[in-house]
Amino acid sequence: MKFSVNWLREFVDLPKNPEEIAELLTRAGIETKNIETRGANIDKVVVSQITASSQHPNADRLTVCEVDDGSGTKRQIVCGATNYKVGDKVPLALPGAKLPNGTEIRKSKLRGIESEGMLCSPIELRLGEDASGLLILSPDAKIGAPIGDLFPADTILDVEITPNRGDLLSHFGLAREIAALSGASFRAPKAFGVEESRGETQRKTAGSLDFARDDKLIKISATRECPFFSARKIGNVKVGPSPHWLRAKIESVGIRSINNIVDISNFVMLELGQPTHAFDADKLKGDINVRLARESEKFLALDGKTYSLKQDTCVVTDQERAVGIGGVMGGEETAVTDSTKNILLEAAYFLPASIRRTARDLNLSSDASYRFERGVDPDMILQASHRAAELIREIAGGTPAKEIQVAGKLPANPADVSLSYVKCDRVIGVAIEPETVDEILTRFGLTKTNSSREGGTWKIPSYRRDLQRDVDLIEEVLRAYGIDRIPGTTRGRFMPTSPADRSHDLETFLLRDRLVASGLSEVRTSKLIPKSASALSQGAIELRNPLSEDHVALRPSLISGLLEVLERNVRAGAERVSIFEIGRAFIPPSGKEERHLAILLWGNAANTPNWRSQIKRSLDLFDLKGALECVVPNLSFRPGKFPDLALAVEVWSGDQRVGFGGQLSAGKSSAPGSVLVAELHADLLLENESVKKFRGLDRYPAITRDIAMIAPEKLTHAEILRVIEEPKEPLLESVQLFDVFEHREGATSAPAGKSLAYRLTYRAKNRTLTNEEVNAAHATIRERLRSELGVTLRE
Amino acid sequence: MTHPLEQLRDDALREIGSATDEHALEAARIKYIGKSGSISAWGERMKTLDKTERPVIGKLLNEVRNAVTAALETRSAQFRIEKESGALARIDISLPGTPGEIGSLHPLYQMHERAIQIFRRMGFALAEGPDVETEWYCFDALNTPPDHPARNEQDTFYLPDGRLLRTHTSTVQIRAMESASPPIRMIASGAAYRRDEVDATHSAQFHQIEGLYVDENVGIADLKGELEFFLRELFGSETEVQFRPHYFPFTEPSLEVYVRSKALKGGEQWIEVAGCGMVHPAVFEAVNKSRGDNAYDPEKWSGYAFGLGMDRLAMILFDIPDIRLFAQNDLRFLRQFA
Repeated sequence: MKFSVNWLREFVDLPKNPEEIAELLTRAGIETKNIETRGANIDKVVVSQITASSQHPNADRLTVCEVDDGSGTKRQIVCGATNYKVGDKVPLALPGAKLPNGTEIRKSKLRGIESEGMLCSPIELRLGEDASGLLILSPDAKIGAPIGDLFPADTILDVEITPNRGDLLSHFGLAREIAALSGASFRAPKAFGVEESRGETQRKTAGSLDFARDDKLIKISATRECPFFSARKIGNVKVGPSPHWLRAKIESVGIRSINNIVDISNFVMLELGQPTHAFDADKLKGDINVRLARESEKFLALDGKTYSLKQDTCVVTDQERAVGIGGVMGGEETAVTDSTKNILLEAAYFLPASIRRTARDLNLSSDASYRFERGVDPDMILQASHRAAELIREIAGGTPAKEIQVAGKLPANPADVSLSYVKCDRVIGVAIEPETVDEILTRFGLTKTNSSREGGTWKIPSYRRDLQRDVDLIEEVLRAYGIDRIPGTTRGRFMPTSPADRSHDLETFLLRDRLVASGLSEVRTSKLIPKSASALSQGAIELRNPLSEDHVALRPSLISGLLEVLERNVRAGAERVSIFEIGRAFIPPSGKEERHLAILLWGNAANTPNWRSQIKRSLDLFDLKGALECVVPNLSFRPGKFPDLALAVEVWSGDQRVGFGGQLSAGKSSAPGSVLVAELHADLLLENESVKKFRGLDRYPAITRDIAMIAPEKLTHAEILRVIEEPKEPLLESVQLFDVFEHREGATSAPAGKSLAYRLTYRAKNRTLTNEEVNAAHATIRERLRSELGVTLRE
Repeated sequence: MTHPLEQLRDDALREIGSATDEHALEAARIKYIGKSGSISAWGERMKTLDKTERPVIGKLLNEVRNAVTAALETRSAQFRIEKESGALARIDISLPGTPGEIGSLHPLYQMHERAIQIFRRMGFALAEGPDVETEWYCFDALNTPPDHPARNEQDTFYLPDGRLLRTHTSTVQIRAMESASPPIRMIASGAAYRRDEVDATHSAQFHQIEGLYVDENVGIADLKGELEFFLRELFGSETEVQFRPHYFPFTEPSLEVYVRSKALKGGEQWIEVAGCGMVHPAVFEAVNKSRGDNAYDPEKWSGYAFGLGMDRLAMILFDIPDIRLFAQNDLRFLRQFA
């Protein structure tokens, strides 16, 4: 909310420098977002009156005005605005004036017509944001007076009020807070309620009103949503423009001037925090009832829009229709207009929760709803009504009814709160003198009703409904005492490793670090995916209220995100994309959360052209297998079938299926060439991980023997390996495939098929092997290969 | 008087010193200490010497032979080194190194690691909770009234079954307290979601680190000292830290934390980095109710809680101007943080 420093000063003494006020507030949790200097103390800008106006002979969009600047001679001014009429008073910048934006005004010719100055818009004088037309001044402005007389210098603070502090949404309220924080003296508003104290109002129930013609009765049906409603009749008002001071005041804090009645209502809200609403009393038919709306009841509001109301919307009605959405907005049909004679001024209390719901359901909020949502001060309602009535009498010449009609009951005063000094010290962490605590709370308007050595019980002022428990009081002590005065302590405590710690560390050391070491880059993609994401994300749980098409469903797989990253990088010119992500996936239909590891490989095997390696090839399935194997040893791969994968493998760890991988079907990604993807359930990979134990080092040398063979094309490595390894040859330690070459028919002299070369390593645990032993074992294996698989062994 | 052996030694050392290549050096070796070299000849001559003279000359002969051998080795090593470096000198050392294939960690993860490593040094243990939550964990237990604006469909993503995507990681506070008795000292990191229009500083999904410390006599002073320690570890010891009162439903008193450091972009500006406060007694009461005991008696235990925005911290620390860069995963961006 915007606050005028001049206005605040009416209630409290403030430091000269607005920065100091801002700092004081900010350090007490009332953040000042912006400080703006206002006012138009600009030399050679004066109040002038337009006495005549004619079309510019050479320009369609310009007019030539004759203005009275108070000097006795009329001036001729060329003007581009259209929002004025002859007789209006407007600011005139005389030649030699320098505007806040730096423009210097000179006598000049515009399209051949002389202009002796410039008529100004609000933005040109930095009096507002409006650049659409001239600033029309109040009719009571004195011609020739410096504009600074009308707009004295002021500072506007834009202050963010937290939702628990509705009591600060007025100049009076903020001034009261500043006084409490700074200890400065505080003045109550002048016209403060003389007649309406809490006790009296309860007695003035429905009854006598001045207008015999239409003696309205007020009734509340929705007592929960609207516990208290008051109305005051004010007769014979003259609706018209507001006097300058009133208009300047509300406009300085961003409220548009409408007419004197509406402006007074807004003024009182800005001053005291209580919204009021003026109905045209002659347009109200019969009695007033505050009730809940009927489902889909239609209502034409002041903003010109028709709202379809909900069953729990609280409405103010006459005997025929809704005339206001309670606490939110009045109706168009009963609004105050220029011809209004009698008004009914409403000041009420609406349940914050009900207003919040209504504002949300109707997507309609107003300055009034903003305040009712946060809770207004019940003790201020009738004060505000009185203040508004007095102003209407002064400004619009109205005759307020002697009595105010009320219905319902004001919400009860907040309950007393007990505070122990020991608790206060404990929560804050330093010892604060009991006298200091008492003094601070007293400054905030609390009164001690019961006192002991340990603490006391405090009566809470009606406007501080947020103070409900001892910790709320402690916060006030902290705010006023100053957080900077609390020295920080570092004591801590030792905590044992948690399952989440273990899980995090395994993920880091076993997955993330290894993947990075093997050349993959980590990505983080959104867990919310588009509806149209790849088939791999079929069945994804969709949000009930997505915001954009890109974020509609919870990802059941990480791969659609990786594909998006691939495509972005291909567009950006990448030649190689090798990426991984570790993160949560949401498994339909329950949305069970699993930690997944996904890998995507695409493009050149080498990162950049490289003078050491001459082979240029693309990443393929074996790179994918290699990446997975470097993370999780002893994985096995079995043929599988998956949607969107042209070549698919199941990934197994022991006897558990832990994921899948393969090559994407053509057309499933805009990236050219093969795209390899894999996704594993990381929790399964990590759950059996345990501390590694030492095994003795080999003490005796190994002997190696190679086997080269030509095998039929269809014979797999796995089949060959099985024959080499089973039945187990005790001396055989390991087998490595080190060459594969595919022959095509007729391409070489060799028969069709493939050449494979294996290196077999033999070792005994307890002695140095002899060549004879190894030869015998090796011959057995060679013979098995020949007889069982029919391969041609090369010598 | 110079003994002839000493003379021979001096001659040999001179010749070795002036030898210009391996051949000259070998010639010198043969000449003096070869089988029939002039120094070796003294070995034979020893037998003819007087018994009294023999030990003296024998000792001298040994010294001379050692000195010559050592000089030969030194000179020979010099020749080897010259030869080796001569060959290596032809290599163009400006050629690029064989490229390593090292990947990179995402800057958000790096930020997260930095943060949790500091917290773990401070004795915090990790905790976890799901992204998909119930209203109870996200709002009710955190003292957020049923009609609170944060709960509406404009701000929070809901699933068809009424569950929601957590709007903050504070949900993990509740889960941690439900499953363990005090004292508790934990941090939890993870994703949170808000129904925000995406722009340079807002994202529908963002990352938070949540902290909770419940113990006997935990106060604002602890919260202040510990977060100050954390932020100075993270941003440098010069960092200024300021706490300002604020409002959150689940803490009372509530504070916002700001930092300022010349080392950071923005220099003199205070930058908001965290929300925190003392756990609201209503939160303890909600936990007790769900546990069915009074383990978190607000009169016995107190605690502080805080939430840090990882995306924001990473943007500050790494000088990243736009939050969307994190989710775009352009490799040119990611590799900057390799």
